[in-house]
Amino acid sequence: MKPIYIFLIFVLLVLAQIYIPAKMILDQEAIIKTGTAYKFKTRPVDPSDPFKGKYIHLNYDITSVLSNDSTWTNYEPIYIALKTDTLGFAMVETVSRDVPESGDYVKAQVDWYNTYEKKINFSFPFDEFYMNELKAYNAELAYLKAQQDSLPNNTYALVYILNGNGVLDNVFINDIPIAKYVEKQE
Amino acid sequence: MNSKLLNELPELIKNQVISEDIALKIRQYYLSKQSDGPNRLFTVFGVLGSLLVGLGIILIMAHNWDEFTRPVKTIFAFLPLVLGQLFAGYSILKKKSTTWKEASGTFLFFAVGSSIALVSQIYNIPGDLSSYILTWIVLCLPLVYLLKSNAVAILHIVFSTFYACNLGYGYESIGETPWLYLLLIAFLLPHYLQLLKHRPEANITSIFNWLLPLSLIITLGVFVEQNDDFGYLMYVILFGLFYNIGKIPSFDDQKLRRNGYLIFGSVGTVIMLLLTSFNWIWEFSMTKNEFLSQEFYIALILFCLALAVLIYSYSKQWVKRFNLFHFVFIIFTLLFFVGMADNLIPTILVNILIFALGLVTIKIGTDKFHFGILNYGLLIITALVVCRFFDTDLSYVIRGLLFVSVGLGFFLTNYVMLKRKKTFENLNNKI
Repeated sequence: MKPIYIFLIFVLLVLAQIYIPAKMILDQEAIIKTGTAYKFKTRPVDPSDPFKGKYIHLNYDITSVLSNDSTWTNYEPIYIALKTDTLGFAMVETVSRDVPESGDYVKAQVDWYNTYEKKINFSFPFDEFYMNELKAYNAELAYLKAQQDSLPNNTYALVYILNGNGVLDNVFINDIPIAKYVEKQE
Repeated sequence: MNSKLLNELPELIKNQVISEDIALKIRQYYLSKQSDGPNRLFTVFGVLGSLLVGLGIILIMAHNWDEFTRPVKTIFAFLPLVLGQLFAGYSILKKKSTTWKEASGTFLFFAVGSSIALVSQIYNIPGDLSSYILTWIVLCLPLVYLLKSNAVAILHIVFSTFYACNLGYGYESIGETPWLYLLLIAFLLPHYLQLLKHRPEANITSIFNWLLPLSLIITLGVFVEQNDDFGYLMYVILFGLFYNIGKIPSFDDQKLRRNGYLIFGSVGTVIMLLLTSFNWIWEFSMTKNEFLSQEFYIALILFCLALAVLIYSYSKQWVKRFNLFHFVFIIFTLLFFVGMADNLIPTILVNILIFALGLVTIKIGTDKFHFGILNYGLLIITALVVCRFFDTDLSYVIRGLLFVSVGLGFFLTNYVMLKRKKTFENLNNKI
């Protein structure tokens, strides 16, 4: 094959290599710009990823919903319609197997159905918040300290929601971004 | 060694051992080899350098520089990627050397991975490691052919194996089979076949001769979903396939250390047989449904492949004398299906089969005057005896005598062969 053809195929590959991360960015930016912001009460813990670095894993307060429908199976997709409580935090309005016709919703995954308590346990897809490697563990400690010092429910994740997808924008402790909160503690 | 020979050339010419023409040819031959040497070294260092820089960039990015704003971090995500693409594009356009192509390809491979990882980090996109790795390797696969890069091909095999293991053996992916792994490896085969055709004796080809079967051995287990018992059969057939591939003259005529297929095939077969020589392995039952499972179909495909290679080898008269190792996968498949009805017969027959393999190997070793093969055969029999040491109700005396006799066998066979070899050498010297 002539080198020029090889080069043209290479140019196509270059475009594909740029397109994938660029598409990821554009999708996330679209959600941040046009989506609705919800606050999810959460508890952070500190694991790490070999390629992406340290992150805090967010254990949300909303992890289950009551349901008499016992046919839910593990790893099944679930659509969670959202509303806010009087303090402005996210709450589950309804759950369904189909996309809700109106309102904001998140596409999550069923972990398991508790037949005894008649509860569907599920996980939100936005449960990893990437942090500076020196701050991730301190963030977990700061959260524990903040729990002791102030009112409960003082840690939340700000998530932009659009068409079932969510972008985790930031995590706050006492309304201060968690990275800044950790810096202050130090 | 070469310089020593070159230094002796004048003396050889002086004593009329070789002519000046021959001396010139020898000198030219070694000089051409020497000019090839540093290039190869440059390529190796170039690839290693790119590999380390690429991995280093991933780690530096993973630090998460939260002092920078999101747009600045995004630029950093694309910077190594664009740099790698420029280097690789330049290598193609200017028809640069192998060193350039290999090094830029390796760097670009890691730059693609780091850019996707960093974007995921910036936007907190949750990690499904398998799909991340899959996107990464698919985006880099064409580089193998565009840059004719062996380093990218090796990285492709390593990361494809990692992808298959992560998806197939992981806790979070129960019930998922990484079928795409087969496609990923299949895409690489033309590159490998080109290497086998044009550079069969190159070091890089022998790396693939080891890496490819190793990857398949590691990943075969991920295709076993529920019917674990079929796993034994699948592995024995896979090792049978490797053994028969390893006996194809283009592999078999090379040094043993270059023939990963033969070594994996032989050692793997023996290990699997030793494992199945225990009676409790055969305590399983099969239902009709298990014959419709993916494990059964994979075993069937592997069997057909191994049989095709064996028949082709016979038709080409590559198999010159009877060697039991060629047929183990057929015998074991028959035993496996007998094992559904009765668990004693296959246990006994597998033990006999291992013993026979040991004897056959010892015979080959003595015929070839090869101490390595001879002792490998003895090792097979020793391993069999050790296995029986643990699960039979034989008395201690009999077991002890068995060990002593096998130990004596080691001494005697080696001694007899050493004697024969010395006599043979003495005869040759006299002639």
